[in-house]
Amino acid sequence: MRTIGVDSIPLAGLVAAFIGAVSAFQTRYQLLPGVPLSTVGWIVRQMIILELGPLLTALVLAGRVGARMTAEIGTMRVTEQIDALETLAFDPVAYLIVPRLLAALVMLPLLTILADAIGIASGLGISVFAAGVPMDEFTTGLRLTFIPFQVFYSLIKATLFGGAIALVCSYEGFITEAGAEGVGRSTARAVVISSVIILMLDALIALYLAPLLQ
Amino acid sequence: MRRRDEVLVGILVTIALAIGIGGTLWLARRGFGSTYPLHARFAWGAGLKNGQSVLLAGLHVGTVSEIEFNQGGWLDVTMDIEEKRKIPEGTTATVTQLSLFGDKAIALTPTTPSTNMISPGDTVPAGKATPTLDDMMFRVDSLMRGVSDVTEKIEFEFVEGGGIADMRRTMASANRLVNQLSDVAAVQSRNLTLTMASVRRTLGSVDSTVVDSTLRNMRTTSENMTVLTGNLKGTMQRLDSVAAQLENGNGSAGKLLNDPALYDNARALLARMDSLMADLKRNPKKYINLKIF
Repeated sequence: MRTIGVDSIPLAGLVAAFIGAVSAFQTRYQLLPGVPLSTVGWIVRQMIILELGPLLTALVLAGRVGARMTAEIGTMRVTEQIDALETLAFDPVAYLIVPRLLAALVMLPLLTILADAIGIASGLGISVFAAGVPMDEFTTGLRLTFIPFQVFYSLIKATLFGGAIALVCSYEGFITEAGAEGVGRSTARAVVISSVIILMLDALIALYLAPLLQ
Repeated sequence: MRRRDEVLVGILVTIALAIGIGGTLWLARRGFGSTYPLHARFAWGAGLKNGQSVLLAGLHVGTVSEIEFNQGGWLDVTMDIEEKRKIPEGTTATVTQLSLFGDKAIALTPTTPSTNMISPGDTVPAGKATPTLDDMMFRVDSLMRGVSDVTEKIEFEFVEGGGIADMRRTMASANRLVNQLSDVAAVQSRNLTLTMASVRRTLGSVDSTVVDSTLRNMRTTSENMTVLTGNLKGTMQRLDSVAAQLENGNGSAGKLLNDPALYDNARALLARMDSLMADLKRNPKKYINLKIF
């Protein structure tokens, strides 16, 4: 939990801050004349909470935490530590994978909450201080059509992404072969596969849950 | 896990949950300030969404918090109004459009000044709906159709019906008329110029000393006439006095006019004079004895 959650805060926060700022800038300067400025707040909130917050946090963690998981377990596999656990009658899945899975399932949503908050705060700051959007207009847009389910939608995605990262990366580590080279190959493959699965899950969640947002 | 890791994870969980719950409530409740509910009912198709502004006389006082679909053709809308904003009785609610892009809000409009305020939970009566963008587009569309019809008719009349040729002929006639009028005006202008020059010459030939002398004579004549008028007035007054005396029988003339005896004597005298004259004619020698030698 420390590794997945606490240590990932700076990276996830940095990514969220930049995404919020860029979203606000792009939205502000793409607005047609006559469109209310509150639209900036509304679009930033929708982009951050519904899509970019959970997705980018998961992708970043897939690279940072998933690769580490695969490398750790893969190294244990090639150095026969897992075989030793099995010899000592320990269940390696319960001992190595389940804690990581639980940590990812818990920490991804928490990091997503922080990323959403940082992204929106960054968008607000950029809009108000650099893009000429009044604070009232931004907060009006921020609250426009908001329903609490949007936050749950974001957390559901983050939880599923966390589970996917932990499972894919642990599995790839678990099946690592051929020494150090195999560890590197497994790590790269784990990051790629988990990223693709995250994107596929994102599409599926949008397909099945997005109608509930209306 | 080491104790330090446990503390850090605990802090992360606490902060994340606090931000998640607090942020959700802040967004969903439109801030942490206390509010009170008011209700309104609008026809279907009003275009409202949760979170849209509620304006009191143009000032943001709350937000739309809930929209219930009513099968009777209505939308039952709940508004969260800021506690410090009170809505006077007699206020009406309308759905108004904030921009050309369909951004809506509920406008609360007080119709009359009132010190009584609407109680929390009451329903604000709906006012007369303002035209929506669709209404305006429909009107513009019908207007454009009308303009198109008129344009077609004008085209038919002017192009196919020979209206443009008629107008050209009319314009040519008007140009000729204008030219003729211009010639007439030029002639009249020349005549007027000559007349004015003649008048100037006449005025120049008038001797001002003769005019002065004539004016002095006229002034003297006028003064004489004034004196004459005064004399005539005096004469008339005297005549009036004489006539009055005659009427009153004063003086010899008055008595002559007013005394019947004198009249009778005069008639008798005349009668005797007539007989005397008759006798004179008959017997002239009786009265005239002319001796020359």
